[in-house]
Amino acid sequence: MSGSLDVFLARRWEDLVTLTLQHLAVVALSLAIATVLGVLLGLLVWDRNVPRSAVLTAAGIAITIPSLALLALLSPVLGLGWAPTVVSLVFYSLLPIVRNTVVGLREVPAHLVESARGMGMTPVRTLLSIQLPLAWPVIVTGIRVAAQLTVGIAAIAAYVAGPGLGLYIFKGLSSLGSVNALNFTLTGTICVVLLALVIDGAFVLIARYSTSRGLRV
Amino acid sequence: MTVHTGQRQGLGLKRFGTPLAVVVVLAALFAWLGTLTLDSIEQRTLNASYLLDRTREHLVLTVVSSALVALLAIPAGIAAYRVRSKAVRAFVIGLGNIGQATPAVGVVILLAIVWQTGFYTALISLVAYCFLPVLRNTLTGLEQVDHATREAARGMGMTPRQVLWRIELPLASPVILAGLRTALVFSVGVATIATFINAGGLGDMIVNGLKLQRYPVIVVGAVLVASIAVLIDWAAGLVEDLVRPRGL
Repeated sequence: MSGSLDVFLARRWEDLVTLTLQHLAVVALSLAIATVLGVLLGLLVWDRNVPRSAVLTAAGIAITIPSLALLALLSPVLGLGWAPTVVSLVFYSLLPIVRNTVVGLREVPAHLVESARGMGMTPVRTLLSIQLPLAWPVIVTGIRVAAQLTVGIAAIAAYVAGPGLGLYIFKGLSSLGSVNALNFTLTGTICVVLLALVIDGAFVLIARYSTSRGLRV
Repeated sequence: MTVHTGQRQGLGLKRFGTPLAVVVVLAALFAWLGTLTLDSIEQRTLNASYLLDRTREHLVLTVVSSALVALLAIPAGIAAYRVRSKAVRAFVIGLGNIGQATPAVGVVILLAIVWQTGFYTALISLVAYCFLPVLRNTLTGLEQVDHATREAARGMGMTPRQVLWRIELPLASPVILAGLRTALVFSVGVATIATFINAGGLGDMIVNGLKLQRYPVIVVGAVLVASIAVLIDWAAGLVEDLVRPRGL
């Protein structure tokens, strides 16, 4: 029933590379936006009890919303393609990033902050050279979790014409019963898995080289 | 997805904030719906019997798959723990990582292509998808039990079986339950995707609404699904707190 996989791949590998790069691009763009927003939000609330628990609870509830539901709600407003995809990926990335920013900042020993202030550092300087560098390994872990989450959600976003490998997964479904149905969905799914594993591996390196030297083990 | 760590909350008014918010949102939704004049396409989906049918399908898919996952994955996790072999452990953790990287929509559609479309395919892919996180949480939960506690139990003359039932499982239960809670919330999301393979559920409304460009249908479907997810997560959190052994 299915056409042979090697012929399929030989004919479409360029297509597949393009889709994989698109998938990577949309995930990277969303993570970049979510990191900026998430860390800022974390900075605003981490040392204030009520706003902190309000933000973390809201983010915890938001992340349970099924991604197809969110994409469907966004698409009449934002149209199809990149816009609803990026907005929803940022939405789902915020919880792990905000939570880890808060945890990371709270874990910085108070006496270090105090000595920095005692040495005459301004609050901004203390934040930039003491608190954020010390919290960074925890924040990176949050971004890594968000990356795994978004690679999978981006595949569903193909349903609202989002970019990436989801296109092949859905192409298999829409050509159900044809020779290449299995090939389309299988290669799409496997490439998503490989991409997720490669990104996860990349984060080991990112975490290592973006962490301040004194903290590296 | 995220693994809940399960923090105990006070059983006060705070506990009921979530369901209250959901009720308010749903009331607003139906009030808004009441102000609209629906065309014939919208009337076909936005009526009580259609909504109840889709909701029921959605809940059945979610609850049955999670129950099956609990029945299969927890014993498998206990077995994997009791063999105490490094190879088995590495295999389970490795498989869990790959499972986490696999997109749910890929699993659902693949199974539909190689087997058939419909409810049972959706059920099986849900079980397959949620099996690994629960298995992994069971294994790590049991491993997390303090070695000295285990030793003390053995020293008191308990058999390994007694240690498992009276010491290890109760102590691991918060982590195991957190895994199940994650699986439940997952299933609500994956059950939405089940519409792609004709397995019903509220995803039908979302997809039909998009195809026919009927915004009210999309909104009702999406808000209902989101409410179910939020409520199930809330209820699971409540159960987590209630069944946790007293000493913990």
